[in-house]
Amino acid sequence: MSDFPILTATLLCPAIAVFLTLLIPGRHEKAIKSVNALAGLAAVVLAMIAWAAYDRAVGGFQMMEDVAWLPALGIRYTVAIDGVTVVLNMLNAIVFFTGVLSMWKLEKRVKEYFAFMSTLVFGVFGVFFSLDAFAFFFFYEVAVLPMYPLIAVWGSTRKEYSAMKLTLFLMAGSALLFPGLIALFVASGGETWNILEMARSGAFSRDFQIFVYPFLYVGFGVLAGMFPFHGWSPTGHVAAPTAVSMLHAGVLMKLGAFGILRIAIECLPEGAAYWAPTFAVLATCGIVYGAFVAMRQTDFKYVIGFSSVSHMGIVLLGLNTLTVAGTDGAVFQMFAHGIMTALFFSAVGFLYDQTHDRDIRNFGGLVSQAPVAVSMFIVAGLCGMGVPGFASFWAELLVFVAAVREYPLLGILAIAGLVFTAAYMLRVLGTAIYGPVNPKWNHLKDVDAWSVTPRAILVAVLVLFGFFPNLILDMIRSAAGGM
Amino acid sequence: MMLTGWLLFSLALFSIGLYAVLARRNLIAILIGIELMLNGASVNFLAFNAYLSKDPAVGQIAVLFVIGLAAAEAAIALSIILAVYRSRNAIDVAGLDELKG
Amino acid sequence: MNPDTLALASVVAPLVGFFLGLVVFRKHHAVAMGVVLMSGAVSLVSTALLLFGGPAEPHVVGARWFTIGDVAIDFGLLLDGRTRIMGAVVALITMCIQVYSLGYMKHDPGRGRFFAFLALFEWAMLTFVFAANLLQTFIFWELVGLASFFLIGFWYQKPSAVAAAKKAFLMTRIGDVGLFVGLIFLFQSTGTLDIQSIGAIFDPEGLPPAIAPDRIEWIAALLFIGVIGKSAQFPLHTWLPDAMEGPTPVSALLHSATMVAAGVFLVARFHGLFLDAPTTAQIMLAVATFTALLASTMAMVAKDMKRVLAFSSISQLGFMLIGLAAGSLFAGFFHLTTHAFFKALLFLCAGAYIHHYGTNDMIAMGRAGARSMRITTIGLVVGGAALAGIPPLAGFFSKEQILGALHGPGATVFKVAALAAAFLTAYYSFRMIFLLTRPNDASAAEPDEPAYAQHAGDSGHGSDDHGDAEPWVFRFPILLLVVGSVGAGFLGDRIGALLGIEHIHHPTFVEMAPAIAVALAGVVLAWLEFGRSGARQAGFVSRMPALRTFFERRWYIDEIYERVFVRAAVAIAKLCYGTERDGFDAGADMVADGTARVGATVARGHNGRLQWYVGGAIVVTAALAFYLGRLS
Repeated sequence: MSDFPILTATLLCPAIAVFLTLLIPGRHEKAIKSVNALAGLAAVVLAMIAWAAYDRAVGGFQMMEDVAWLPALGIRYTVAIDGVTVVLNMLNAIVFFTGVLSMWKLEKRVKEYFAFMSTLVFGVFGVFFSLDAFAFFFFYEVAVLPMYPLIAVWGSTRKEYSAMKLTLFLMAGSALLFPGLIALFVASGGETWNILEMARSGAFSRDFQIFVYPFLYVGFGVLAGMFPFHGWSPTGHVAAPTAVSMLHAGVLMKLGAFGILRIAIECLPEGAAYWAPTFAVLATCGIVYGAFVAMRQTDFKYVIGFSSVSHMGIVLLGLNTLTVAGTDGAVFQMFAHGIMTALFFSAVGFLYDQTHDRDIRNFGGLVSQAPVAVSMFIVAGLCGMGVPGFASFWAELLVFVAAVREYPLLGILAIAGLVFTAAYMLRVLGTAIYGPVNPKWNHLKDVDAWSVTPRAILVAVLVLFGFFPNLILDMIRSAAGGM
Repeated sequence: MMLTGWLLFSLALFSIGLYAVLARRNLIAILIGIELMLNGASVNFLAFNAYLSKDPAVGQIAVLFVIGLAAAEAAIALSIILAVYRSRNAIDVAGLDELKG
Repeated sequence: MNPDTLALASVVAPLVGFFLGLVVFRKHHAVAMGVVLMSGAVSLVSTALLLFGGPAEPHVVGARWFTIGDVAIDFGLLLDGRTRIMGAVVALITMCIQVYSLGYMKHDPGRGRFFAFLALFEWAMLTFVFAANLLQTFIFWELVGLASFFLIGFWYQKPSAVAAAKKAFLMTRIGDVGLFVGLIFLFQSTGTLDIQSIGAIFDPEGLPPAIAPDRIEWIAALLFIGVIGKSAQFPLHTWLPDAMEGPTPVSALLHSATMVAAGVFLVARFHGLFLDAPTTAQIMLAVATFTALLASTMAMVAKDMKRVLAFSSISQLGFMLIGLAAGSLFAGFFHLTTHAFFKALLFLCAGAYIHHYGTNDMIAMGRAGARSMRITTIGLVVGGAALAGIPPLAGFFSKEQILGALHGPGATVFKVAALAAAFLTAYYSFRMIFLLTRPNDASAAEPDEPAYAQHAGDSGHGSDDHGDAEPWVFRFPILLLVVGSVGAGFLGDRIGALLGIEHIHHPTFVEMAPAIAVALAGVVLAWLEFGRSGARQAGFVSRMPALRTFFERRWYIDEIYERVFVRAAVAIAKLCYGTERDGFDAGADMVADGTARVGATVARGHNGRLQWYVGGAIVVTAALAFYLGRLS
């Protein structure tokens, strides 16, 4: 077991799916979908195995694989997994699998769609596993770029605009990121891109750290929906097709936060300490601001899009406390938010597929028209409000406890954000889910046994970790040993 | 002072050629201008070679290359000009603005 | 039976009932209802056994839930006097209401779901009551709020019900923010989550040495904000009157033993902490007294029976907090217990009337012959008299204890205000009784909603048989609660013993006299204005129309909130939305457009003229040559 290259195998799941998808003639749509679903299932299984095989008592990085890639530049293919990435790996696998299932009814250019989508997933896995900063950046770009065609071709509502906006924002982030990474490489002696070795080299002076840290933080932060560079995210959510929204909010935005954690804070602790109060203020702004904007939105997906800005603010606030509890909470929130938004978009996608309408004012009393499908939405809404019994409660609890300790005022403001969050969530629930029935949608079909599966998985995950947060917290905490 | 004279001569040749390239509208005239510029450069090589170099062969080799290149270039350019003429019945350079941004 | 097993059974049963009722037997109403009833019965039996035969010493049933870092989180059930009494009360009232709902919700298309949510409510409340640590307290405090959200908004097609549910959830959530921060501070100050350990720090006489006094004040004040929200005290009281948009059994549950009781129970739970924060206790006393008066004035002009009861709940919760803030755990807790009985009773009676007469208006119901419903009317009179504090009913004893707790310097003003509130309570209780039971031809009162109005339209009421106005499922709980409302007052000594209070002051007749006097005065005034034959049935407030309107519009507090806070939130949201659209989005677009325009401008230089390009190249080359030449 210990010799089995489980991470490379995980990475190969989407890669093989892409390869096979390209080989299969486009008219065999079922075959293409099945291949990708199988790849997703395999990824979930492998993620479970990795979860089980990870030795929490030892902690740190495990299952390391190390091969030279571009020796002349010191670039290596180094993959390993620690407590944080065990969790995020699981998140990505789940969202991948359920995302494929959510797109089962896709008819337009199936082959190309799944090729791009699996490429994206491949990049995300690569980012989570890479310990080599260059490989990290490489996979990062692999993950980001397929978003453009995915939105521009299969999207809706100003799709070209949104795709372009998203790509430009993210490229701008990368443009900050790459110089920052090169600066790390050069300053650490120009011999290794290995994140851990760079961090341990002690080569970064305080001034250097303070100068470089904002490049990395903002560069990654753009992808994490950091206020005030969040504009691409809601627009992108709205335009993207269901599974892409799921991946986008569920996983892709996590890459940014993960990058901050894995590279920026790990390599530049003094820079992080210097900038943390500033960025904590921005994160809190994001929490409150996102909630308020969501209160005015009438499009389901815009509401969720801005709720993501708000919830990712909680992640960033947790990271910026620079405490163990805050980081635990942030990683937990990444996971919980990933599953939750996937559920949200999955539910909205279900509605949109049948009604081609997403304006909450055009619905009403949906709970009596499609009770099961809408219950899933309610579950996601409750989770978003931080109701106990769902995973995100614990994440928010940890972040808020840490934040109140480190920045009392910001902490209290962030907690007050819960009221605003409840306000917009209840607005959606009260307008579209409850309230007088709109007879126009009486023909609405509730989910069948097949399409309830992906959503049921997501709900189960949310509830499981809502009741047993220790399963995930122990895992995240074991990473602290290695970091 | 003879060197200066040769240099002035090559400069004059080059400038006349440059003027032709920049100002004439006929492609053939522009091609002739280019040839003049190449010759100006060649004279320049030879002049420096004759008066300053220790090894008289170097400049001459360079000039031979230039002449060879010029021949090849003229062949290609003329064929392009012919192609242009065939496609639009004119060799006026003002009409050739497909590269406009 | 082993108390550990009993405690576990009492909280696990409703959870199982909820799950089975909502998920498994979603489409089988009868099964779902049966399962929930059984789970309620299990809870009732186990909490009753715990109450009468529980461990003498405080005892925790629990297990390690998980560990975060070095903080161990237990899931525990703390069995002490407070939790055993409250647990039994919750289970008993819930059981009564579940039985009652069998009749009340008989024809509702969502009755299975309704019962499932009742079970959720019971589970959340019981686990909150038994909670052995702060985290569990907070979790189940939130879940109590969630369950009430679902139940208030149960008739989800009624916009007013949805709005009320939203309002309840949001306003209590404002309080929750305070509670949450307070609990974090409390944890930071004490370093423990365990409620017993916290009790050991604060309960002994004198301030705890390890924590700064103003820190205690802060913690107490923040916790009190949570209580204000949950127990509907001024200024966060406005959600409770609206919350009666839910089915009447829900109101009965919400107002007596669960939701609003949670706030008071929290103060009782951390009573030592509040006593160590004298300033906060004083503020609490002031807020509670003001609320008690405020709500009574609203109750005495309302015509909607459920509204009268809702205002009276707010007022009585104020009384409980007065008792607790004045330093008497026994007084507050006693009133919490007795109030649970008579308030549940009153709501069940109200439900029976409303169910039969199809209106909430007391005047209309009275004229339609409300007193012909015998059992219900007995319940109404007993409950109303208990609420009014007529001896020897339950409300009298507990209210007497509260008034007795108000002594010492500075308490006079509060005592007077509390007596005034007690007077108004007796007045509006009997106004309600007389309006319902003694209609007369000389009455000048105008009903707002005629009888049977709700039966005509589809009010979501879901009842279509009106053959038997008082089926046994109505009679049985009402009679049971009548017994409770009469008998609970005599349990003071037992309750005191369970709370660990050795000496309970039994007031002498002279001490009781003012309370009896104001109660009787209230009854007499109500008799003169509403009860005697030929009464005009217009209260003394009607002589001052401005004041009456002021009370009827609930002191315009809702309007003020609507105008100030809601509008402010909307304005901020608009501002943020505008910033997003015209600021961030427009800014990003502007940058993009600017870039595109620069590109277009530069592209114009590329006119396609080869000669221009060559010329440009030569000029640049020449400039470069010149520059390099200068360098060397």
